Amino acid sequence: MSRRRVVVTGLGMLSPLGGNVKDTWEGILAGKSGIGMIEHFDASPFNTQFCGRVKGFEATDYIDRKDTKKMDMFIQYGIAAAIQAVEDSGLEVTAENAGRIGCSIGSGIGGLETIERNHTTLEKSGPRRISPFFIPAAIINMIAGNLSIRYGLKGPNIAITTACTTGSHSIGYAARTIAYGDADAMVAGGAEYASTPLGIGGFSAARALSSRNDNPQGASRPWDRDRDGFVLADGAGVVVLEEYERAKARGAKIYAELTGFGMSGDAYHMTSPPEDGAGAAASMQNAVNDAGLNATDIDYINAHGTSTPNGDRAESQAAKSLYGADYKQIRMSSTKSMIGHLLGAAGAVEAIFSVLAIRDQVAPPTINLENPDEGCDLDYISGSARDMPIRHAMSNSFGFGGTNGTLVFSKLDD
Amino acid sequence: MESPIVITGMGMISPLGCGVKASWDRLLDCQSGISPITRFETDELPIRVAGAVPDLAADPEAGFDPERVADAKERRKMDLFSLYAMAAAEEALTQAAWMPSGDTEKMATATVIGTGIGGFPTITQAQNTLVTRGHRRLSPFTVPAFLANLAAGNVSIRYGFRGPVGCPVTACAAGLQAIGDGMRLIRSGEADVALVGGAESCIDSLALASFHAMKALSTEQDDPAGASRPFDQTRSGFVMGEGAGLLVIETLAHAEARGATPLAILSGYGTSADAHHIAAGPEDGSGAATAIRLALRMAGLSPQAIDHINAHATSTPVGDRAEIAALRNAFGEALAGIPISANKAAIGHLLGASGGVESIFSALSAMHDRLPPTLNLNQADDDMEDLDFVTGAARDQATQHVLCNGFGFGGVNAALIVSKV
Repeated sequence: MSRRRVVVTGLGMLSPLGGNVKDTWEGILAGKSGIGMIEHFDASPFNTQFCGRVKGFEATDYIDRKDTKKMDMFIQYGIAAAIQAVEDSGLEVTAENAGRIGCSIGSGIGGLETIERNHTTLEKSGPRRISPFFIPAAIINMIAGNLSIRYGLKGPNIAITTACTTGSHSIGYAARTIAYGDADAMVAGGAEYASTPLGIGGFSAARALSSRNDNPQGASRPWDRDRDGFVLADGAGVVVLEEYERAKARGAKIYAELTGFGMSGDAYHMTSPPEDGAGAAASMQNAVNDAGLNATDIDYINAHGTSTPNGDRAESQAAKSLYGADYKQIRMSSTKSMIGHLLGAAGAVEAIFSVLAIRDQVAPPTINLENPDEGCDLDYISGSARDMPIRHAMSNSFGFGGTNGTLVFSKLDD
Repeated sequence: MESPIVITGMGMISPLGCGVKASWDRLLDCQSGISPITRFETDELPIRVAGAVPDLAADPEAGFDPERVADAKERRKMDLFSLYAMAAAEEALTQAAWMPSGDTEKMATATVIGTGIGGFPTITQAQNTLVTRGHRRLSPFTVPAFLANLAAGNVSIRYGFRGPVGCPVTACAAGLQAIGDGMRLIRSGEADVALVGGAESCIDSLALASFHAMKALSTEQDDPAGASRPFDQTRSGFVMGEGAGLLVIETLAHAEARGATPLAILSGYGTSADAHHIAAGPEDGSGAATAIRLALRMAGLSPQAIDHINAHATSTPVGDRAEIAALRNAFGEALAGIPISANKAAIGHLLGASGGVESIFSALSAMHDRLPPTLNLNQADDDMEDLDFVTGAARDQATQHVLCNGFGFGGVNAALIVSKV
């Protein structure tokens, strides 16, 4: 099958470093942390008492006040990021093109806060007090659903859940949809709001979270010897993808080309990767092959790098196996050191950082990396952002269940 | 010409029993899988009936035996929807004789299992634990048990499938979208074989109360087997079902090369959005009609070529009418000549699993030239009287191409065409 080229023409984001792409990117390049103590509920009995919360978000800037009551926060975040991305792209939806524009926006967890609240209602007040908006406020495909209604997008309407790989898979899937001719443009990404008592409690029970309560901003420390788990964070990232000729014809601002997408399964364990990172390596190799590149063509890798003991080492091993003898060329950083782990939104937010790294020819830093752990001996852009030529950037995401996704973005030839 | 994509294995857990054969035989035999809920206390609930998968005590012949799927230690780590997926996977992979031991084959196998709700019962139980006993009592498996993609994850781990692992969660269209996604993965060369379909298990007080709050469920209790009545004038909402339906798919060339028997062809797939309302389609059914047209186009078929329609038909007043509008929109005058069945009359609405289960029933119709009956359809609704619903008993009819529909909240539509080999 012949494939069409896919480019990125719009970006939108909410993160612990800001309510838009610009503020977040400035914070990232400055090496700032967006992590703080939990103040929105009493977390004092919990092992982990901090997380990354979205800063600078006013729901009514994007959504009618009455509608906000019918949407879990993850849906509001997703819609807000998508509106930013669509406005940034200048995409116009008309009666003629509506059937050729779709949505692919997922979430790793979905409406946890809404489920918790309605469970309490059921227990305290009985089934008749459950809101009729509960289900549409909580189910994961309602970002894509609501957006399709808002903009009249009648093309493929997709919501993928693959835990922490959701954002990458959603974007990669959307790119395939365009490449194979089922759509001409897609609004794609992920959103998450899991900083709830059950979210923090559940991941903490799985021993996945850092409990460095005395230093929240130092808690996310990918590849550092003293890392002790990831930092849960909220937010959303959404991009507009378009078929290249269409974007060029309408004079769209093109950030980068999405040249490669790869997936794989670990088939190993529900919550940890194999030590050698074989699944991650397969995903990266598939993406590089898809882009028609060699691994050594990749100038910058935005790592999954969650700050968990097993995951970080496995990803380093995976990258090394890909580059072989040339592994010293690897330039890989983890932006999760600054914003934490946005779960189903992580892949989307980090895809945007990869695109911006190409635009600005700068690699974002990894912060809090003081003593690289054994087996973690790559150039992790530690401490501060680095100006460098970046023609091809890779973004990795790996999720519970052993599901992997890798995106490759490339500078468009002038 | 590309080699067609074929089904080489099918596995099913449904309210009619475990296994494709038990479910199909009972469906043809006009049996109902709907019964009073006994899994938990329903005194306080407005909903008392559901299509629960029978256990061994209730159904010694084809009841669900969790012991056969996973040992007690493993079961603590999985929600029921994952267990159903594991059981359906075993059946499908066995029939397809696809249990590869080589790395190349494992890398070339994708696992895409959709679900509408995922591990909802695990979330509500965990919330209970958190509120009543504190966070220290939360199971470490809470998160991996409730994550929607863990049906696919658990299956891929058990069989060592290292190709793409995916999970669409597009509400009640998830199962069909998973099949469409698998077809794409094969076409793009990312997989040679894909295990695709859906799994669901949310017969849970909060889930029932919440769908009830949307006025989506039938509240009838006196005659459980009669509660789900798609297209009937007196239909009053859907009945919650549960289960899993999974298919092994690959190209015909790949199947023949390894000596596998093709059961049916997946000849067309289409998906679209209504962009209208989160819980109801437009009256003219234009969104769903688009998905059907796209599926016909991929299959290279005219509407007249379709011999049977396996309808989404959930038994809600609005939904069934909208589907007929969509079918009229896509088929025009030809619709009156195409027999229509609604499986949900017998099994209820399996949400994200319904596309998996009903695509298998569609394949069986094409394989055996038999159309399943629609239970409880005594008087078709006023604006549907001209249509040919299969009622009363199974019908023998030469069947080349079957259309299977799946529509979900959020205005998402999917359509699949299954054809005789």
